[in-house]
Amino acid sequence: MTQAAPGTAPHLLLDRLEKRFGTTLAVQALSLSVGRGELLGLLGPSGCGKTTTLRMIGGLMPASGGRIVVAGRDVTALPPHRRDMGIVFQNYALFPHMTVAQNLSFGLEMRKVPAAERAARVQKALEMVRLGAFAARRPRELSGGQQQRVALARALVIEPSILLLDEPLSNLDANLREEMRNEIRDIQQRLGITAVFVTHDQAEALAICDRIAVMRGGVLEQLGTPYEIYERPASEFVAGFVGRANRMAAVREASGAVQLGPLRLQGSGEAAPGPVTVMIRPHRIALCDAVPEGEGWNGATGRVARSTFIGDLLSLEVEIGGASLLVEQHTFAGRAMPRPGEAATLRWRAEDTLVFPRSAAA
Amino acid sequence: MSATPRNLLPLLVLPAVAVNLFTFLWPMLNLAGLSFREGLPGGGIGAAFSLATWGDLLADEFYLEILLRSVGMALGITGLALLASYPIAFFVHRADARWRNLLVVACISPLLISAVVRTYGWLVILGDAGFLPVILRGLGFAPPRLVFNMTGVVIGLVEILMPYMILSLLAGFGRLNQTLEEAAASLGAPPLVVFWRIVLPLTLPGILLGCLLVFVLTVSSFITPKLLGGGRVLLLATEIYDQAIVTLNWPLAAALSLIALGVFGAALLVYGRISRAAERSIA
Repeated sequence: MTQAAPGTAPHLLLDRLEKRFGTTLAVQALSLSVGRGELLGLLGPSGCGKTTTLRMIGGLMPASGGRIVVAGRDVTALPPHRRDMGIVFQNYALFPHMTVAQNLSFGLEMRKVPAAERAARVQKALEMVRLGAFAARRPRELSGGQQQRVALARALVIEPSILLLDEPLSNLDANLREEMRNEIRDIQQRLGITAVFVTHDQAEALAICDRIAVMRGGVLEQLGTPYEIYERPASEFVAGFVGRANRMAAVREASGAVQLGPLRLQGSGEAAPGPVTVMIRPHRIALCDAVPEGEGWNGATGRVARSTFIGDLLSLEVEIGGASLLVEQHTFAGRAMPRPGEAATLRWRAEDTLVFPRSAAA
Repeated sequence: MSATPRNLLPLLVLPAVAVNLFTFLWPMLNLAGLSFREGLPGGGIGAAFSLATWGDLLADEFYLEILLRSVGMALGITGLALLASYPIAFFVHRADARWRNLLVVACISPLLISAVVRTYGWLVILGDAGFLPVILRGLGFAPPRLVFNMTGVVIGLVEILMPYMILSLLAGFGRLNQTLEEAAASLGAPPLVVFWRIVLPLTLPGILLGCLLVFVLTVSSFITPKLLGGGRVLLLATEIYDQAIVTLNWPLAAALSLIALGVFGAALLVYGRISRAAERSIA
């Protein structure tokens, strides 16, 4: 993983960045740093301020407060054409009146690169995105995925100091999306370019980002590696937004144990005694023969309320003492299919039992 | 449409074709015929086929002068109307959706008032004892004459024809997308380059349409040149009017009309040529 080595200055630094629209704060005191060659994901639901943040970094929108520093230089006041950032837009924003090659050449012309070198670099960039034969085409003669690759090549051919990607995959269909996200990741790693990737799709963020900044309501909720975000979510919101989880109200006792209806559970998390929310990911719950005893395990018996076979997954709804748990199991040939009404015994690890202070917004 | 049998579709344009045959083509042919007669003193028209009218017309440099003045003035007015309208249309296009409709209505509302009334309005403003010269003189300037000359005609026509230009430009701005400008800026283009390389080419269809409309409307306008020109600005359209109504030389008026028609045809040809070239590079 390419992260800012300890002690070296970050390549991109956001320092208490802020955006106000009238009286609403779209982005609040956002501070984070991106290391050279790192791919940082800005993840969150729509309206969380992630695109606003990206637009401020790119200079397309003035910041209301705070600083943006690139390689030690404060660029907060610079107009976009002097920031040296490559931006890939959600709708690609290819110039319709230019050929693919002219689209790529545009940024090089602005940088006064000599014509011969321009042509060579354009061709090289097109080959990088496997569109070497499409130089003379118009954008509208290309498929969505090809347009996406042209947009990426256009942003990269100028060798920007930072690559900004604004939901670049959201207009593609599911198969292409996965292929393109891997391609973006490959190219980003090969060029070692610092990149910020805005998305609302948690799977996308988990799959390709070095680190993810989860945002909510203009505030940075958690910053961490995909593993940290998924396994050690800092808040109920992050746990619910990244991956799926059963969410139940419970009470934490002074001993640290969690009382969920009639069940007494061991849980992880720092939440203080009092009302809490317990979250358990469906696929971390397993069907078993007997409730496990001892440290590190939680267990429960219940009744199957619904059983759905989805090919690679078996999805069960199990009633346990008033609460309903969603349980997902991988399938294999010969696996018994629990039927509604049957009894089921469940177990899951204590560290998969995430305990958060009960939040007002939940 | 899909329910209509394909071979019935031509029938749908039949009424329009019929109306045009009777109201345009037939009178035009009549006009052409008329120009090959001789205009007799007192408004009479010779019965026999004659090349005299065309002969006089082509031999007289006065008419060439009128033609060149008309075309030159129309080109100038088209350019000025474009310069004056483009920023307005751009602003309206960029305006918040709530305001845009209101602004469009405001832009074209002058069309609700007759061009004659608006021309008299300009006489009041620009005339020797008018609003503008009086103010200018009060400020210590010696304003040039603003009416009964080319200046007055140009000012009046530019204002009167601007709504057509604004509407055409707005229709052509559909292809413009602010993200394209942002993309160009992010690639290193300063604002003026963004305008020149991105905005202007993408709005070219609207520009061409607006220019064609204003050019044709200028060449064919005669009330405004007549009133604001005070009879001193001689143009194709005013000359046709004078020959037909004052001098009663109908064959000469007919011949001049055909020349005006030729100018329109040439304008259409140029428009088609340029917009096809533009379309090839934009589409």
